[in-house]
Amino acid sequence: MPQPTDLLQGTLDLLVLRTLLLEPMHGWGIAQRIQQSSQNTFQIGQGSLYPALHRLEYKGWIQADWKASENNRKAKYYALTRTGKKQLEAEIESWGRLAGAIALVLEQG
Amino acid sequence: MLKEFLTRLRFFIVGRSHGEVDEEVRFHLDQQIEANIQAGMSAEEARRQAGIAFGGVERTREQCREERPGYWIETLVQDVRYAVRGFRRNPTFSLTVVLTLMLGIGTTTAVFSVVDRILFRSLPYGDSERLVSVGLVAPIEPQEFMLGGSYYEWQDNQKPFVALTSEIGTEPCDLTENNPARLDCARVEGNFLPTLGVSPVIGRNFSENEDRPNGPRVALISYDLWLSRFKKDPGAVGKLIRIDGHATEIVGVLPKDFEMPRLQAADVLLPQSLDVAAERRADPGHPMWAFARLRPGVSVEQAKTELGPLFEYSLRLAPAPFRKEVHLQVRSLRDRQVHDVRLAAWILLGLVMAVLLIACANVTSLLLARGASRERELAVRSALGASRMRLARQALTESFALSVAGGVAGCLFAMLLLRLFVAMAPDGMLFLSKARIDLRILFFVLATSLLCAVCFGLMAAMRKAGVEALTGRARTTIRHAVLRRWLVIAQIAASMILLAGGALLAHSFWNLEKQNFGMSAENIVTTAISLGQTSYPTPESQMAFFQRLERNLRYGPGITAFAISDSVPPGGYHDDQIYAALRVEGRPALSSGTGGRVASRWITPEYFRALQIPVVQGQGFTDEELTSNDHFVVLSKSLAARLFPGEDPLGQHLHLHNGAPTENDPSYIVVGVAADVKNGGLAEDNEPEYYRLRRQRTQDWDRSSVLILKTTLPPTATEAWVRAQVASLDPTVPVDIKTLSERVGKLADRPRFEMLLVGFFAVTGLLLAVIGLYGVISFFVVQRTQEIGIRMAVGASRGDILRLVLANALRLIVPGVFLGLVLALALSRVLSSLLFNVAPHDPLAFAGVTGLLILVALLATLIPGSSATRVNPTVALRCD
Repeated sequence: MPQPTDLLQGTLDLLVLRTLLLEPMHGWGIAQRIQQSSQNTFQIGQGSLYPALHRLEYKGWIQADWKASENNRKAKYYALTRTGKKQLEAEIESWGRLAGAIALVLEQG
Repeated sequence: MLKEFLTRLRFFIVGRSHGEVDEEVRFHLDQQIEANIQAGMSAEEARRQAGIAFGGVERTREQCREERPGYWIETLVQDVRYAVRGFRRNPTFSLTVVLTLMLGIGTTTAVFSVVDRILFRSLPYGDSERLVSVGLVAPIEPQEFMLGGSYYEWQDNQKPFVALTSEIGTEPCDLTENNPARLDCARVEGNFLPTLGVSPVIGRNFSENEDRPNGPRVALISYDLWLSRFKKDPGAVGKLIRIDGHATEIVGVLPKDFEMPRLQAADVLLPQSLDVAAERRADPGHPMWAFARLRPGVSVEQAKTELGPLFEYSLRLAPAPFRKEVHLQVRSLRDRQVHDVRLAAWILLGLVMAVLLIACANVTSLLLARGASRERELAVRSALGASRMRLARQALTESFALSVAGGVAGCLFAMLLLRLFVAMAPDGMLFLSKARIDLRILFFVLATSLLCAVCFGLMAAMRKAGVEALTGRARTTIRHAVLRRWLVIAQIAASMILLAGGALLAHSFWNLEKQNFGMSAENIVTTAISLGQTSYPTPESQMAFFQRLERNLRYGPGITAFAISDSVPPGGYHDDQIYAALRVEGRPALSSGTGGRVASRWITPEYFRALQIPVVQGQGFTDEELTSNDHFVVLSKSLAARLFPGEDPLGQHLHLHNGAPTENDPSYIVVGVAADVKNGGLAEDNEPEYYRLRRQRTQDWDRSSVLILKTTLPPTATEAWVRAQVASLDPTVPVDIKTLSERVGKLADRPRFEMLLVGFFAVTGLLLAVIGLYGVISFFVVQRTQEIGIRMAVGASRGDILRLVLANALRLIVPGVFLGLVLALALSRVLSSLLFNVAPHDPLAFAGVTGLLILVALLATLIPGSSATRVNPTVALRCD
């Protein structure tokens, strides 16, 4: 297993939005999902997840509701809003450009 | 965007409870623990691992709170509350800071509002930056003017201007209706207002048809007149008013802020109605003042060059003696208006900036001192997790709060000062009555106080207390101490400059007051009378009035001498002419140049006795000459010496206007020589002067005269009596009664005002600098209490301790004074045009100021110095 990497500054928002695209989730679920999808590359400093979630909520990109969880406890589920979806598209695109540019430099360097 | 905003707004208003975050976090931890247990950990271990993976719960909670949209307000409120609590704990400190700022900002604002109109505010004309004043300058008239003989030639052929316009001056005129009034009527060319870019608020400008000889009588009235006479009735346009007996139609009302380009008072504008064809032929033509609007892209310099050929044309028309001394002048209208106050304005602004600098230095110094004594508190806050950013913001908040308080206090202080200035200032102090605190100036205050805040706030904020401060033993304040010392040195230097300026002006004013006028103003009551156009239309009626008045007044109670003149020295208006026009009979006229100006007055025989002007040769005018057909003249000593060097002037015949003896240029017999009298104002050089006798002939009189009465009674009694006598002859005649001492004193109004103003700043600056010095020295003493205690314990005497403190103070005072002296010597040259008989490097003023400053500074150090000598060694050593 590779060493867990620190998240690039600002990419946490992108990952959270992308994760929520599938379905509404609670905080723990989001952390788990990101860890699994990245095959344990990203170990989310869970303390920083909640401030990020709140920030996104204040921006209106995600929206929170208290619902019963799978084990029947009250949990806060976050869901992507319409503006959030648009934002995600924009961020994915700009990420693609960034990654492509970095790849180009690395190849030709 | 909108949605984002709304969400933010919702959270901003509603907020979010802490419990929510807690619950969310608890859920997260529980889930993690459960997962860990399922992965095979013990319950204890699962809980521990979950806690480690999550990190600080409290920190998360804090961070979530910081994400809130309204968070910065929360911290701001916190910071402000904290600052205010601090100020209340230490009221002397806060009061000193606010008062210092009030003095600094208040004086700056007041002065700025005074100089604003002179230096910065745009003139009340459309696109006023493109307006210029155009004309000729000559030694006899240093302000540019034009002559009808060439003006129209210029108007037709000029290239650099969009338009050229003129006015021919302002004259008193009478509104002869019920409720008559004396007004100022200005006569202007038809294109005057359009060229200036001014349109009437109601009605219209003059039409072309109206600005010609014998055109229809029309007038534009000022806003004030519209208000006082017509109560702003729009129906005033089209009404007829009687001006000097002629029915005149009001065609428009001028804007409220309208002013004549030369700033004369004007209640009514009339078309100047010159006969253009006659003017073109005339030589030199009607005197006028010309103004023009530059074409886009044409500079003042270019315009001057392009006018060259036209100027040559005018020069050819000018009489020979003038040609070499006449120059072309084109300058911006603002320059024309403020020519003699611009320098004073800049000096004032500079001085007041020095005061502001001192005040800011003081506040910075105070804040640094406070910061140094709060080092430990800061260290504690820093250790408890306050970020550097947060501490800096706290420091800035404090200085902002102080600045705002200082700014508000300063603004109120400025309004007060401005009232004081206006009350103190002499009449006709250019623009002072227009000084006001408007929005722009409030903005200036705000900017000034914020600038102060940022400056000293940043200095205080750029510190982060080291951990060692926690021990309470470290002395980490040396760096700030050095900065504070420099601030105090700068303060002392700045106040040295202010004091030097004040002392120079005071010395100059002293010279001005104590100079010998060549006459006595004691017990002289002067009465200026100007007869109205309609009641006294002829010279006969004017002479008759004054002669009746003389009969009534001459032998009144306490009157020992009585004279009638057309003007009185030492200043103010009097007739003058060029020297070259004088011609001694039997000799050729002066061939080249104008020879400068010669003053002249029309007087009655007792003039010299009343004013105690010695007649040094001949016997002056006698009563017999009053009825003579011959013309008599008395010369001043300087004029006699110039006209008749080494000869006896008595009995010589003199023509006052160059040319053949005609009815208008009679031959005058010199009957006396009088001592020189100050006649060009207080500070200017004297002009040679001659006196003509006002005989009992109508051609010697006109409508204005000054009665000169020497009295043995108290002046107020004589004044009341004269007023009653004039009123008994004609109650409608306006009289202006003052003692001659008052008139002389009035001339000194402006230098006195300048001196008081600069003196006020100098004292304010000195006060602030002394507070600064006092603060630094007291801080020095407090900081070194321990050291002083040790010194005393090992045997230092009180004198030694005092010497230690004084030596420390002198290390600030001496360089400060020295620096200030150098700067003041370098800068005082700009004052030279305001000084009278005082060199800009006047040793007396500089020595006095240096002594005063050192004395006051030492006094300021004596207070903390003596408290240092009272330090009790046992107490001092035990502290900390």
